[in-house]
Amino acid sequence: MYRIGFDVGGTFTDFTVHDARDGGLRYFKVPSTPADPSEAIETGLRGLIAEFGIAAADISFVGHGTTVATNMVIERRGVPTGLITTKGFRDVLEIGRQTRPHLYDYSIAKPPPLVPRALRIEVAGRLDAEGTELAPLDEDAVAEAAKRLGAAGVKAVGICFLHSYLRDAHEKRAAEIVRKLLPEAYVSTSSEVLPEFREYERFSTTVINTYVGPRMERYLEGFLGRLTGLGVPVPPYTIHSNGGLMSVETVRAFPVRTCLSGPAAGVVGAAEVATAAGFPDVVTFDAGGTSTDVSLIAGGVPAFATSRLVADYPVRMPMVDVHVIGAGGGSIAWIDDAGALKVGPHSAGADPGPVAYGRGGQEPTLTDANIVLHRLDPVSLLGGKMKVDEAAARAAIEAKIAKPLGLTVEQAALGIIRIAVANMSRAIRSVSTEKGHDLGRFALFPYGGAGPLHAGAVARECGIARVLVPQEPGTMCARGILLSDISLDFVRSEIVEATEASWPGVMARFDAMAAQGQDWLEASHVPPADRTIQRVIEARYKGQNHEVQVRLPADGIFSLEAFQRGFAEAHRQEYGYDVAGRAVEVVNARLKAVGRVRRHATRFDGADSALPPPRETRRVHFDTVWVDTPIYDRAGLGAGLHLSGPAIIDEMSSTTIVEPGQSVRVDAAGNLIVEIAA
Amino acid sequence: MNATAPVLSDPIEMEVFSNRLLSITEDMGNTLIRSSFSTNIKERKDCSVGLFDIDGRLIAQASHIPLHLGSLMGSVKATLARYPAERMQDGDAFVSNDPFMAGGTHTPDIAVVTPVFIDGAARFLTANVGHHSDVGGPTPGSISGGARTIFEEGLRIPVMRLVRTGELDEDLLEMIAHNSRDPDERALDLKVQVATNQRGGRLMQALCAQMGTDAVARAIDDVLAYTARRIRNRVRDMADGSSSFTAWLDDDGLDGEPVAIRATVTVAGESLVIDFAGSTPQARGAMNVAESALRATVYYSVKTLLDPGLLPNQGMAACIEIRAPEGSIVNPRFPAATGARSITCNKVARALFGAFAGLLPPERAMAASLDSVPVIIFSGERRRQDGPFVYLESMGGGIGARHGGDGIDGAHVHVTNTSNLPAEALENEYSLLVDEYALVENSGGAGRYRGGLGIARQIRATRDGVIFSARSDGHKAGAPGLAGGLPGGLARLLRNPGTKQEEELSSKAANLTLAAGESVRLETPGGGGVGAPTERAPQALAEDLAGGKVSRDRAQRDYGAALVEAALRR
Repeated sequence: MYRIGFDVGGTFTDFTVHDARDGGLRYFKVPSTPADPSEAIETGLRGLIAEFGIAAADISFVGHGTTVATNMVIERRGVPTGLITTKGFRDVLEIGRQTRPHLYDYSIAKPPPLVPRALRIEVAGRLDAEGTELAPLDEDAVAEAAKRLGAAGVKAVGICFLHSYLRDAHEKRAAEIVRKLLPEAYVSTSSEVLPEFREYERFSTTVINTYVGPRMERYLEGFLGRLTGLGVPVPPYTIHSNGGLMSVETVRAFPVRTCLSGPAAGVVGAAEVATAAGFPDVVTFDAGGTSTDVSLIAGGVPAFATSRLVADYPVRMPMVDVHVIGAGGGSIAWIDDAGALKVGPHSAGADPGPVAYGRGGQEPTLTDANIVLHRLDPVSLLGGKMKVDEAAARAAIEAKIAKPLGLTVEQAALGIIRIAVANMSRAIRSVSTEKGHDLGRFALFPYGGAGPLHAGAVARECGIARVLVPQEPGTMCARGILLSDISLDFVRSEIVEATEASWPGVMARFDAMAAQGQDWLEASHVPPADRTIQRVIEARYKGQNHEVQVRLPADGIFSLEAFQRGFAEAHRQEYGYDVAGRAVEVVNARLKAVGRVRRHATRFDGADSALPPPRETRRVHFDTVWVDTPIYDRAGLGAGLHLSGPAIIDEMSSTTIVEPGQSVRVDAAGNLIVEIAA
Repeated sequence: MNATAPVLSDPIEMEVFSNRLLSITEDMGNTLIRSSFSTNIKERKDCSVGLFDIDGRLIAQASHIPLHLGSLMGSVKATLARYPAERMQDGDAFVSNDPFMAGGTHTPDIAVVTPVFIDGAARFLTANVGHHSDVGGPTPGSISGGARTIFEEGLRIPVMRLVRTGELDEDLLEMIAHNSRDPDERALDLKVQVATNQRGGRLMQALCAQMGTDAVARAIDDVLAYTARRIRNRVRDMADGSSSFTAWLDDDGLDGEPVAIRATVTVAGESLVIDFAGSTPQARGAMNVAESALRATVYYSVKTLLDPGLLPNQGMAACIEIRAPEGSIVNPRFPAATGARSITCNKVARALFGAFAGLLPPERAMAASLDSVPVIIFSGERRRQDGPFVYLESMGGGIGARHGGDGIDGAHVHVTNTSNLPAEALENEYSLLVDEYALVENSGGAGRYRGGLGIARQIRATRDGVIFSARSDGHKAGAPGLAGGLPGGLARLLRNPGTKQEEELSSKAANLTLAAGESVRLETPGGGGVGAPTERAPQALAEDLAGGKVSRDRAQRDYGAALVEAALRR
C-alpha cells in the first residue's frame, strides 16, 4: 500500500511516496503547470508510478496541498462576484479598518475590493447585538438584487449581514432566494463561512470564499477526473490552513480554508519530524527562490494565528502562523545612491533568474553570490541537468557591486550573503524572541531549496546552537501532508460576561458544534476510536478588545471556576500578568474536530556507517579564505555518521553547507544534525 | 554610486547592523503592544518606541503614529537636560509628559526613558511613549478642543525618576495613576512601558557583547551618515528656490475666524529651510502645536514626500532647519493648551505638502487630503446597563490624488493611522446603533486623478441621555486640488439627518444630549484631485459612475458632457 502526498508550488510540484509495507520514503518532482495545476499532478503521478513500479490500485491515500485559491486572489482571476449586504454597509469591504496600507508611501493603495462597488447591493433587514430583529429582511429587495447581479453577469454571490454570527435566519433566507433565481451561481453566507463577530474580517473572508469558489470547483473536477483516469481507488484529501486534511466536499464549500495550504503542510510535517528526532522546539526556515517562510514550533506544536492577509485582504481562520519575507535565492543585490549595499526586495524570480543561469538575468542575485563562492556547484545544478555560467555571475558581481564599493569579488559575494542572512535572521527573531521565546533552546529546521544552504549562517547570527536538516528538504511540504490529521474548525461568537448565570450558555455553544463535528467526522469515514474534539474559549478582560485562548480539558467538562483560573494563567503566560478581580468576557467558542490518520513507521535506508569518499573536492570560499572542501552525496551518508566541516552535502532538492568549525551527524531517521560552534 | 556619497566605513556591516537594530525596536514595540492593558495602546497601537545614544541622537525607531517621533525625541532631550548621564544610575527610568517642561506634544502621551549601561557607563537610552486614554482634567480624555490653558489638560509631569536603581517608586506611580479616570489601566500600562525599555536595554547590551562596543559605535556613525547622505541627495535633486503655501483651519477650537498656517520651504543646494512665518498667533483653545509636535510633523512630511524608505534616525535632521515664530499656533507660549494638536499638525502637513509641490517634479507631488483628525465622542450608559461608557472614534477621509493614481478612499492621513471600531463591537458595548458607515458620494475632488472619498458615519442613540461631542475641521473649505484638479468635498455634521428635524451642527459641537432614536452623522472631507478633470480616463470615470462614487449630475458639471458620454459608451 502506498500513501502519496504532493504539493503544488509555483515552480515545482513535489511528491512524497510512503511505502506502508516497508516504511520507505521516496521523492519525486515535476515542473508545475500553472494554467491547469492538475496537469502536473497527473504527469507526476504517472511518472512516479512508472519509476517506482507502483500499481495505482495499491494507492491507499492521496493528499494534496494547493495554492490554487491563493493564486486566484493574488492574480485576481476569480469569477465576477456580487455582494448582498445590510443597508448602510456596502462600503465596509472598501473602507476596511480605515487605515492606509503604508504610513509614509501613498503610492501603495488599499487593495481594490474583489467585488466592485456597483455589484455591492444593500437590502433592508437588521439585527441588533443580541440577535433581535429590528427590521425584517426585505425579501423583494433580495430578489431584485439577485436579478440585477444576474443581469450583470455575476457567477458568485456573497451574502453578508450585520450580526449574522448570532442568528443566521436572514442570511439563510436571502441565500434561498438567490439560489432560486440564480441556480448556476455559487453562493456563500458569512454565517456559514465564519460565524464570528467583527464585520470587516467576516465579510472579507466570505467574499474571498465566494470569489474563488466556482474556479476551485472546476479545478477539483479536473483533478478528480485525472485521479479516476489513473485508477487511483481512494478519494483525495486537501490540506487546509490549519495543517489538517479535509475532503473534496468541504473544500468545495469552503475553498478559502486552503489559502495557506502548502506552507501549513510543511510546518506540520516539520513539527512531526523534529519531535521524532528529539527536537520539539524548532524554528522552521523555508527558503525558496523568491521568498522565505518562517514559523515557530514549541513543544512539538506549531504556533497558530487566527488571521492573516492574503494578497492584502484579511482572512480570518485558525491557521498555522507563517511569517513570509521577500528574500530568496533570486533576491537582487544593488547599491543605492547613498552607498549602501541592499539585497532584495526585488527578485529575479525564476525568469529571468540569476545571471549564472544564462536566461537573460543581468542583476546579481543571492544565488550568483553562492555560485561565485562555490557554495553551489559552479558548473551545473540539479544533478547536472542545468548548466551554470560562473564567469557571468562573477562579472556581474564585479561590475555592479565589488568595483563601486572597492571590494574584491569574493568580499562582495560574502557581503551579499551576509546581508541576506541578516534579513532572514530578522524574520526568525520576529517569530521567536519578539514573541517572548528564548532562541537558545530552539533548533533551526531548514527546508526549501535554499534553506539548508544558509541555515548554518542564520543559526550563528541568531544564537541557535543546532540545525536539523530533514531528508529532501525541497519536498518537505509534500511530506508534511503524509503526517497530517483530518480536521475541521468551528466557531460560535457571542460576547457575554463570564458569570454563574451565563456559564451554561457558554458551554452549550460547544454542544451544538460538537454534534456538527461528529457528523463531519462520520461523513469523512473516521472510525470513532480515532476521533478527538478540541475546545478553546477566547476571552478578555472587560474593557479590552483583544482575546486570549483558554484550552478546555479533553472531555470538555469545564466549570466557571476552572475557566477563571485558566484565563488568569493564560493571560499571565501571554502578557506577563493578570488582573485579579476584573470581570472577564467570553467572546468566541472554538471547536476543532480531529480524525487521527494512522502513521506508519518510516525506515531510513542508510548506507554503511563508514564515511564514503567524497564525490569530489572543490575549492569553496568561506569567511575569509578558499578551502578545499569535500562534496558528498547525501544518499551515501548512513545513520550514525559524523563529520566535521568544511563539507557540502548535496541531494536532489537542496544543498547543505557545513562551515569550517561546524560538525554534522546523521541521526537514525536520516536527518542531518549540524552543530554550530558558538 | 553617487559621486558625493560618503565613504561608509563598512557598508556591509552597516546593513547587517541595521537589521539587528530593527529587530530590537520591533521587539520593543511588540512587547509594549502585546503586554499593555488599555485598548488605546494594545488595539489602536497608539504608541511608539525608540533607541538613542547617550548624546541624545536617535538611532532607530518603531512607530505606528508619526507624531510620536516628537515626544520620543523631545522627552529624551529633556531627560538628558535634567539628568545628565553622569547623574544616571543603572536601573533608573524617567517619566514625563509635559509639552513645555519635558518635550511632550500633549499631556496624554506619557514617555518613559531608560539608560542602558555598558561596562559601567550609560551609553544608550531606550524610550517609549504611549497615549494614555485619560490623565485627568475637567473633560474625559484630557484633550478637549475648548481647553484654554494646559492646566485644563490634566496632570503635568516634568521629568521625574520613576525607577531608582531598579526600585519602582510606587508613590509616584500611584500619584500619576490616581490623577486619571481609570487608575488601574494607567498603572498597568506604565509598568509595561518601564519593562519595555528594560527589555530593549538588555537586547542592546547583548548586541554590544556580540559585536563589541566600538564596532557598534562605528556602525551607528555609518547608519546616521548614510541616512543624512540619502536625505541630502533627495534635497539636492530638488529645484533650488522658495515656495509657500497657506493652509486654513476652520477656527481655533472656540469658533471664530479661519486660522492660517503658512509654510515656506526654501531649498539651496543640500539645505532645506522650513519657515512658518505668517502663521496665526497661538490659539485660544487647544489647537496649538508644541515644538516637538511641529518637528515630528516636518520630519514626517519630508520623509513622505522625498524618501518614504528613509530610516527614522538622527540623520534625517541633518539638513533640515525649522523656524517657527514664537507665540504662533506652531510655537505657542506657556501656558497654551495643546491637547487637540493633531488636527493642526495635519494642517501643518497640508501647508508643507502644498509648499513642496512648488519645488518637486509633478510626479512626486500630492494634492491635499482631508488633513484633519475628525473625532466623534459619545457617552452614556452601556447597552447592558452595567455602567457608563465613553466611546471615541477618530475617522479617516479622502486622501489627495497623486500624478499616476487616484487618492485612497476612506483612510487616515499624515500624523495618525488608527483603526476604526467595528460596528458589531460598538453595538455590543454601547447603547448606540450604526445606521451607516459609507463613502461619501461626490466627495473626491475631480481631476485626471480623483481625490479619495470621505467617510460618513451615522450613529443613533438607542437610549435617552446619550451625550455627544465632535471635534472636526474642513467644514468651510475643501482640500485644494493640484495642477487643475478640483478641491475635495466639505465635512458636514448633521443631527437627525433625513428627518424633518435635520439640522447642521458646528464642527466643534459639544455636549449635545441625544434622546433615544436621535442620530448624528459626520461626513469627513474628501481629497483634492490632480490634473484637469477633462483628462480623466473614460474607463475610470465609467467605474466611478457605475459604483456611485460620482453622480451623473456632478460628473456632467466637473468632467464635462463629452467625457461623461465617452464613459457611458464603455
